[in-house]
Amino acid sequence: MTTSDNTSSSESPGSSAPSTLVAASARTPLWRDVVVLKWVTQVFLLAVVLSAMWFLASQAGDNLRARNINTDFDFLERPVDIQLGEGIDTHPDTGGRALWAAMVNTLRLSVAGIIFATVLGVIVGLARLSDNWLVRRIASGWVEMLRNIPLLVQMIVYYSTMTAALPRLGLDAGPINGWLHVSNKGISMPRVHIADGFYQWAVVVLIGAVAAHFVRRHRQRIQDETGANASPILWALGTVALFGLVGLVVHPAFFWLGAVFGAIADLLDSLPNAVPQLLLSAIAVGFATTWISRFVSDHRSARGHLSLTDDDWFRIAFTALVSLVLVYVAVRWTGLSSWILNSGRDLFGVLEAKFDVDGAARPFDAMRPDIVQKAKFPNYGKNGLTMSIGFASVFFAVVFYTSAFIGENVRGGILAVSKGQTEAAKAVGLGRGQILRHVVLPQALRVILPPTGNQYLNLVKNTSLAVAVGMSDIVQVGTTVFNQTGRTLPVVAIWMLFYLSCSLTISVVVNWFNVRMQLVER
Amino acid sequence: MTDATPAEPTAGQIRDLSRGRDMIVCEDVSKWYGDFQALDKVSATIKEQEVVVVLGPSGSGKSTWIRCINRLEIHQEGRIVVDDVELTNDLRNIEKVRSEVGMVFQQFNLFPHLNILDNVSLAPIWVRKKPRAEAESQAMALLERVGIPEQAQKYPGQLSGGQQQRVAIARALAMEPRIMLFDEPTSALDPEMIKEVLDVIKTLALSGMTMMVVTHEMGFAKEVADRLIFMEGGQIVEENTTELFFSNPTEDRTKLFLSQIL
Repeated sequence: MTTSDNTSSSESPGSSAPSTLVAASARTPLWRDVVVLKWVTQVFLLAVVLSAMWFLASQAGDNLRARNINTDFDFLERPVDIQLGEGIDTHPDTGGRALWAAMVNTLRLSVAGIIFATVLGVIVGLARLSDNWLVRRIASGWVEMLRNIPLLVQMIVYYSTMTAALPRLGLDAGPINGWLHVSNKGISMPRVHIADGFYQWAVVVLIGAVAAHFVRRHRQRIQDETGANASPILWALGTVALFGLVGLVVHPAFFWLGAVFGAIADLLDSLPNAVPQLLLSAIAVGFATTWISRFVSDHRSARGHLSLTDDDWFRIAFTALVSLVLVYVAVRWTGLSSWILNSGRDLFGVLEAKFDVDGAARPFDAMRPDIVQKAKFPNYGKNGLTMSIGFASVFFAVVFYTSAFIGENVRGGILAVSKGQTEAAKAVGLGRGQILRHVVLPQALRVILPPTGNQYLNLVKNTSLAVAVGMSDIVQVGTTVFNQTGRTLPVVAIWMLFYLSCSLTISVVVNWFNVRMQLVER
Repeated sequence: MTDATPAEPTAGQIRDLSRGRDMIVCEDVSKWYGDFQALDKVSATIKEQEVVVVLGPSGSGKSTWIRCINRLEIHQEGRIVVDDVELTNDLRNIEKVRSEVGMVFQQFNLFPHLNILDNVSLAPIWVRKKPRAEAESQAMALLERVGIPEQAQKYPGQLSGGQQQRVAIARALAMEPRIMLFDEPTSALDPEMIKEVLDVIKTLALSGMTMMVVTHEMGFAKEVADRLIFMEGGQIVEENTTELFFSNPTEDRTKLFLSQIL
């Protein structure tokens, strides 16, 4: 930085300097010194942000107290009267349980939506670039139609079409015998659920996964040495599948793990609070010191010259400060340490109980769909795995809608790879599929990934429109919860935290891939 | 390639290749881009081990012609037969020809996401189904031949233009082609780098490779070519041995071109 050069020259004795440099070698006044100005602005900005946050929070707190609005979270533990259309728990006991079941519904919708929208989007994008005129036209019709109709309208169209077109669900047709049942209440299929033996079986599969890693490496080496296609991925999957099958029989052999978990739980119970305090402090200090030392060594030239800008010093100081604050929090806040110990003990206690089963317990069970009539109208019972019409309409709407945008990203990304790349690949004799896989897609992904990550974020947030078709997502259930309990702000806070953590997770994953895709240049 | 005939005559010397096998045969090849006729009944035969340089002003159809020979462009009339395989819509023929014909482009077109070694060994592994270890040692040998073995682990973006073009030549040679096509291989290079690339192409010519070169490097053409073809407006204007082409051109258009370029 030129500024640091200035300051260093101002410190150096100016005896030998020519007379024209006298002004520069004189001491710079503070209000003109860029380094000082920069530090002052950083600290000032930090102070402004912190005090603004403190001011807003205290104002909000005062006002809420003055109006007698309750903002505590005790409703999470209190009973509510809510019925969810579907999910892990359709009749939750407490507000917390209701919100959790609704979150799972939203997550199911988002994860399934992202997977299917990606697959469909790639197909649409490739189809738009097809040599076949008809395929190209159909794909561009798909894109233009879907992205120009509001998502909410699409959702309602699917919902009303399905409820009108599908047969009514009734008990008069007698008990259902089939594996699959479709009606205007949704689609119900057999539910495979985990049974008592599942955790022992999962241990076998875990061992299988480790084995598969080595099998994959071995097959990869064979492929590299002989050139024959040794399909390492297939072999690895086969290994896992084999362990899974064998595990169905041998899993009771792992009953003793329960005792191990029990011992860990007892150990955690007997530990004093000082242990996690010490551990947390060590982690905080350790992270900070490794980060700083790596940062310093990254900024050291090959000859050992250390050049740090003011920003770098600020970062180092900030990191050290944060670690000290963390140590202070860990030491002063004993509740945190005992919470860690208690929840660790509880976790291992639960695991111990999971392994404490009858030796012949099966890892899985399956149940066929059923129909029950609790109130006026019949509905699907708990036995089957049911996708409601609401879920289906939200799912198809977000998948179709997002696929149009992802398709455009894919098309743009592929077009961004220069024609010369395809020609060079053709000229060395690669086939169409090989060109796509080895030359075009790896380069196109750099362009495709960032905007597609944005589409994933949009998809997750768009599932909140599910409230329009009465699907029990986090927004719909949250609204009911705060209507019943009057805790509007806590529910809104939970909503924000939930969507924020979903979005941040997606961002982190997409960024990680994105960094890996960067081209190495000079 | 590596096992090519060792005692070939040096460059510039007149070789009698007329009894050799026909490697590339073009008969009345025509091509249009919309209303614009890019190739107009181009006919030529290139014998085994022959080095033919194609000259001509911009837009004369040189590049289009050479790109038709491995079907990067599709000709609309006439026949092209490469090493006894006719280029038709038959996918198998196209793939066979492409794996026998190496091509070097003006813009190098290296794969920027792969390192140099992977650039060279990609096609042998996936098209020739060679074991990776064998393909990589072959790639290293080729990189040594073009003089840049030390760059094997780098990425194309880290190399100079001349080095990139030499990698592109190695990549084409890795498929062990019988014919090499060069489409203005030095036009995108700094003057200093042109020589290092031309030297590689020269040694390749001396090793007995059948080659077709589109270039503006007259010195190179004089030194290496057995035969010169001059094109304009999609037609072959003049076709002659190197010596006669420069010393005694028959067509006025060729004379004009030579007077401007020499």
